[in-house]
Amino acid sequence: MKQFTHFLEGFGSAVQLLFQSARFVGTLPRQRARFIDQCYLIGYTTLPIVAILCFFMGSVLALQSGYSMENFGAKQFIGSLVGLSFARELGPVIVAILVAGRVGSAITAELASMKVYQEVDALVTMNIPPARILVLPRLAAVLVMMPVLAIIGNLIGWFGGAVVCKYVESIAIEPEAYFSALRRYMKFKDVGTGLMKAEIFGFVVVLICCSIGLNTRGGPREIGASVTKAVVVSLISILVLDYFVTKALM
Amino acid sequence: MNPPIHRNPITAVESPAVGVTIDGLTKNFGTFQALKNVSFTVEPGEIFVLMGPSGSGKSVLLKHIVGLEAATAGRVLINGQDATAEHTLERIRIALVFQAGALFNSLSVYDNLALYPREHRFGDEATIRDKVMRALQILSLENSAQKFPSELSGGMRKRVAIARALVMEPQLMLYDEPTSELDPVMSATISEIIATLKDEYHVTTIVVSHDRELALGIADRVGILMGGELVFLGPPASLRQPADPRIADFFHPRIDLKNPRFKTLET
Amino acid sequence: MNTAQQTARVGLFFLLGLALTWVTWETLSDGKLFKQTGYSLVAGFDNLKELKQGDEVRMAGVKIGSVERTRLAGRRAEAVLRIDPGVKIASDATATIVMAGLIGTNYIGLDLGTPGAPVLTDGAELRTKITPDINAIMTELGNLGQKLEGALGSITTTVNGDGKNPGLFQKLDRLVTDNSTKIDTTMTNLASATEKINKGEGTLGKLLNDSKLHDELVATVSEIKGAATDAKSFVADAQTLVNQVKSGKGTLGALIFDETAGNDLKVVTRNLRDISDKIAKGEGTLGKLLTDDSLYLSAQSTLKKADSAIDSLGDSGPITAVGAAAKVLF
Repeated sequence: MKQFTHFLEGFGSAVQLLFQSARFVGTLPRQRARFIDQCYLIGYTTLPIVAILCFFMGSVLALQSGYSMENFGAKQFIGSLVGLSFARELGPVIVAILVAGRVGSAITAELASMKVYQEVDALVTMNIPPARILVLPRLAAVLVMMPVLAIIGNLIGWFGGAVVCKYVESIAIEPEAYFSALRRYMKFKDVGTGLMKAEIFGFVVVLICCSIGLNTRGGPREIGASVTKAVVVSLISILVLDYFVTKALM
Repeated sequence: MNPPIHRNPITAVESPAVGVTIDGLTKNFGTFQALKNVSFTVEPGEIFVLMGPSGSGKSVLLKHIVGLEAATAGRVLINGQDATAEHTLERIRIALVFQAGALFNSLSVYDNLALYPREHRFGDEATIRDKVMRALQILSLENSAQKFPSELSGGMRKRVAIARALVMEPQLMLYDEPTSELDPVMSATISEIIATLKDEYHVTTIVVSHDRELALGIADRVGILMGGELVFLGPPASLRQPADPRIADFFHPRIDLKNPRFKTLET
Repeated sequence: MNTAQQTARVGLFFLLGLALTWVTWETLSDGKLFKQTGYSLVAGFDNLKELKQGDEVRMAGVKIGSVERTRLAGRRAEAVLRIDPGVKIASDATATIVMAGLIGTNYIGLDLGTPGAPVLTDGAELRTKITPDINAIMTELGNLGQKLEGALGSITTTVNGDGKNPGLFQKLDRLVTDNSTKIDTTMTNLASATEKINKGEGTLGKLLNDSKLHDELVATVSEIKGAATDAKSFVADAQTLVNQVKSGKGTLGALIFDETAGNDLKVVTRNLRDISDKIAKGEGTLGKLLTDDSLYLSAQSTLKKADSAIDSLGDSGPITAVGAAAKVLF
């Protein structure tokens, strides 16, 4: 019961934060520097890990499907399988999880420490709402950067699958055949759906992490607790949302 | 009676100083009563020093004035407006100098000071630069403009915090323990700054402190909080020979080594 | 790093994202991103079946292009093929739609044509050949079974009778049985008369001793004998035919019991079993089987189609065409 109340409180404060930030959308042009800064942190610096993980995720996906599809002679469809599952599901989820782990935790840590060391209070007394300068640029940045990360992750994942298909002896499918199979059953809508999912996940993750960070109370010890909580809540939200968003976008 | 004219320390623009009325303020944290029906008034342009031992509720009271805490009962009025109302902060510039400074660690000293005027669009970057540099000069911090808070000593951080408050061109200055953690020389400097700001610019000032020298040196009036209750309210002169034993104890604590509390120290 | 550098990186990063999205979109939408190379040919079919845009075009099994698009043109369906540059296709090369797998992947197969034939140029039309797909084969086999059933029923009726009217065997049998005494007597009489005649007894003998008359008589008797033999051999033939059908020899038997068809033609076998049952019951006339050569022709053409269908399945994956047939059927 208490847990449920906490959940509702958290949910409520996140929604409240969203509306508070939305009120200041008009100030975004003036906050260009902050926006660029956040874009850099959320997008650019997350790219290497996204690239590495997506590459290996695509590889292992091709490897596993090659192993199991060989049983009924459908090896030539590995491209379709890897392509579709990456574009529709794995790409957005992996990128969102990485953003939660790398960017979300950093956001929570930063905002929580600002809160604990009274910087947030100072902003309030200066009549500068934290939602405006701390939350809004991050939300805007994640909206812009998420699709970029997701499409790059997608392509790298596909490429990882192609590499495995070519060089693993038990599969041995030429990249051309792999990509032709990939293209055969895929429409841009599948990729578009994935990008939209990534967008939603990224936005929700950043909102959750901001909200939990700003709601930190107590001393420095609570910063760590908040970060843990933010990452856990983000991951759960990604996977729960994933089901509903997928269903809605089908 | 007309309120004294508040002259901005940075721009020297004159505007009426504000008064603060605390009216039956009560604050409960769960079952703990932090403030018990506290009432007093700070006149425009005066320096009011709020004293009391640690945990007596001084900082909590300050937070009520800037609207960071909502009262359980009673209210805080600034120029007749409720401090918790959202528009109060928009109409009246209140600067709070936090005990730990609360500087923005990710910004340089200069950007710390420039944040407020930039966000509230005081003018172009050149105007803002003028204001910031003047505030830094007042606190003799010109050479630290490009440093980051982590590179500063405790005393410098406190001065930066005061400078940051000055840039806000406040009508009401609140100091939370401005001289704690400072060496006596720096304490004296801070006292001097507070007095100067009051004398020259008529900024209404509320100082929370348990520094007796500071209180007696600069205060127009003193209030003493103990256990959430206001136990004294009056001019500092009457504190020289306090009638109330609790206050006397606070000002001249006698350490009784026979007290069971110190048993552990002996053994 | 200064702000300008950071801004530049973020900007480039964002542009990279935009560009990649655009590339993906172009590639997945219509594949027109990369400049078309090669030349195009048109192949018209009655039915393109599962053929889709992007399917491969192979000549003798080697990929030489892809299906650029499919369209309806009047009363036929056309596939526009994009052939890789440098691939020369003889004008008498024939295109067929080939199943590459059982779950809907097809490609267009071209044979090599004859050497020395003129080469097709951009926009030319390919010769095409219809290959029945597995569904058509199955339908035809089913029809054939029904026809066989009818025809064989007729044979049985003719041979065995249908219960009310006596059949051919019964009639012959009765003819011989009923008249056996008469035939015996006749034969005896004939023997004694002949003997007498041979001996030259009586007027008749002498009269008949004329070698010409004798010869004629002998001829008549041998004709009677010949007729009897013919009747016997016909009955034997009819029986052999039925036996052959049952034991799987001859054209029909081969069709039904062909090993390449194997178990997968079980349906046909079952049909034939039904046919045998019905043969036992007896229906129709014998004349139908003997005069109706359309049955033979249609059986033959079905077999041809089946042959070519199985040929065209030659390239299929690990699951054989027969296995496919079995899956379709059961």
